[in-house]
Amino acid sequence: MNLTDIHADLIRTLSMMLVITSVATVETRRLRLAAAVYCVQALLIVALLLSFAAINPALYWWAGTAFITKVVLTPWFLFQYIGKTQETELPPWIGFGPSIVVAAILMIGFFRLTHSQVDLLAPTALAQEDVFRTNLAVALTVFVLGLYAVLTRRDAVKTVIGLCLLENGVHLSLVSLAPELPETALFGVATEVVVTVFLLLYVIAGMYQQFGTTDTWRLSELRG
Amino acid sequence: MNEQALLVSSGLPAAAFIVPLSAGVIVFLGGRLGRGFGQGVALLASLVTAAIGVAMVRTVVHGSVLTTWHNELRVDGLSALLVLVIGTLGFLTTLYSVRYVEQADFQQRVGVGSVERRLSVFYGLLLWFLATMTWGCVTNNIIMLWVAVEATTLTSGLLVAFFWDRRALEAGYKYLMLLTIGITFALLGCVLVYASAAATGRLDGGQALLISEVRNVAGLFPPRTAVIAVVFLIIGFGTKAGIAPFHPWLPDAHAEAPTPVSVLLSGVMIKMALYALARTVGLFFPAWPQLTVFTVALGAFTMVLGIFLALAQDDLKRLLAYSSVSQIGYVLAGVGLGTYLGCFGGLFHLLNHALFKALLFMCVGAVIYATGIRRISELGGLAKRMPITAVSFLVGALAISGFPPFNGFWSKLTVYLALAQSGLWWAAVIAVVTSLLTMVVLVRPVCRVFWSNPAGKSPGLSEVREVPAYMWIPMLVLASVCLLLGLLPNLAYPLLDQAASVLAALGR
Repeated sequence: MNLTDIHADLIRTLSMMLVITSVATVETRRLRLAAAVYCVQALLIVALLLSFAAINPALYWWAGTAFITKVVLTPWFLFQYIGKTQETELPPWIGFGPSIVVAAILMIGFFRLTHSQVDLLAPTALAQEDVFRTNLAVALTVFVLGLYAVLTRRDAVKTVIGLCLLENGVHLSLVSLAPELPETALFGVATEVVVTVFLLLYVIAGMYQQFGTTDTWRLSELRG
Repeated sequence: MNEQALLVSSGLPAAAFIVPLSAGVIVFLGGRLGRGFGQGVALLASLVTAAIGVAMVRTVVHGSVLTTWHNELRVDGLSALLVLVIGTLGFLTTLYSVRYVEQADFQQRVGVGSVERRLSVFYGLLLWFLATMTWGCVTNNIIMLWVAVEATTLTSGLLVAFFWDRRALEAGYKYLMLLTIGITFALLGCVLVYASAAATGRLDGGQALLISEVRNVAGLFPPRTAVIAVVFLIIGFGTKAGIAPFHPWLPDAHAEAPTPVSVLLSGVMIKMALYALARTVGLFFPAWPQLTVFTVALGAFTMVLGIFLALAQDDLKRLLAYSSVSQIGYVLAGVGLGTYLGCFGGLFHLLNHALFKALLFMCVGAVIYATGIRRISELGGLAKRMPITAVSFLVGALAISGFPPFNGFWSKLTVYLALAQSGLWWAAVIAVVTSLLTMVVLVRPVCRVFWSNPAGKSPGLSEVREVPAYMWIPMLVLASVCLLLGLLPNLAYPLLDQAASVLAALGR
């Protein structure tokens, strides 16, 4: 086995673990644990960016930005605010079993899509290489799992965690789609995500004080 | 875009957002100096922004394009129109807010002890909100355009939730959450555009980020990638612009925010999002004209849905918010048509809607200021007590309904003609019918609030007094401009001509 194969294997393994951590983040009922798993996922993304950086050195910058915003700041905000609201997630609409099925279907679907129709989503020649196709499939899976979490969870803090997954998916897709993106643009995108998470949690803490719950189903002051 | 456009290097595009941005920082730093300081800085900075908008317009009406930092910022007729609207309405809104925030109910909702401190936050965020909007309109970088649009959400999120009570928090949460989810799709769309542009091999490195350059190569994109990018961009920026079916955040946010913020959200922000939509989706019109039918259909659906939802409202602010959904449908139908006439009408309506929707929200704010009531059914007979507000409100309602001799008549007429000219008769019919419904929805409440018999309505209406001059002056200014542009619409033509030529991609 030569070095390129080992490299490709490493990227595949990390990609699989990204999907597993996504499902775990969505399904863990204890919010602190979910935030911790999210933190692990962010670390995996940093590792993935570093391994891609062997191909494209510009990605070292990305790895640094991702470490600060996703591994340090976002989980820190989450831990701060989980302390101020409730510790356990309110039961969602759709439970553990269906979630696993959804995750599996999504992943298989996106792998098939990116391996048969890669030109649909990846107009560049680079993105059509094998490791980048895998990355794109995983990025889309994480993105849609995040969307799934946002749509089906009733707990506001959990919805924010879902939003973070959604953003992670977009971030991962950038590796395949736009590896040449200038640092300023990347920095703008990464900063914005952190600020969004902070503001949402700030508002949710206010909601918890006023409504006594983080249940988004109980937000019913404004109708019609 | 005119190939022979004269490129002028200028500091104005940068100044347009640096001025309000740094003024916002000054307001935050000087928070201890009290409310007067924040208001003074905000008034001055928004006036300067408006002046920058005027200066830009004076240059671009002659066909030149202002650029800064190697084309990173770029102001053509379209950008200048938006900066002018943002700056002018920003100034008028700040002027309006000076006395609005003194009202007893307002102060009580903010929390009596902390009013001064929170008002400096209010003005700081208001300035940043203006800065992010102008930034989005002057940038030429597609990723930075996305960053700017998302930044407007972040700067206005806390303004929507400013009262920090149950209703405001619920609106603020929905606003931040729904817009962020929606706008993430736009990021994917922008990245796809950038990646496709880079893959054409015609542009080197950073140039693939510049919208003015991407425009030249968009026809070379793989068609299916282009369709996916367009769908993502429409979901993303369409959510922000309040296009149905992505509008559910809009009535909550626009109704629960403090009135000066509602004025900016409905009057300016959704236009800025529609600008982003037109800039990015418009890239694809020359190569794929079939897309225009889709955008026009979306516009027509938005018009109808918005006005039907507005019909059922008893809350004045929610009624105006739903009417904004409906009106943004006209702008989308016009701009989405892609023809010169369509873009001209759409942008004219964008300008007009900014004027009369700001006016209407200010009038509702005046009613709330004077009576503390938002429900139409509890109000009546205010015309004698508040004559200026009554007349201004009536002017706004007639203008938005497309009634001559007000400005809305001309822009709606242009949109109808443009739709008919392109053979989309069904859309023209929908637009006309919606306009008639708008008259019912907007004029009837004006009559009920100002000219009905107050007997049996909320007690205390007989002691109501007209609002202070700081509030009615901006209202009268806007009402006069609505009338002026109705009588002399050609005043706006040179600028609209430049702006429409930028967007018009399909046969003149």
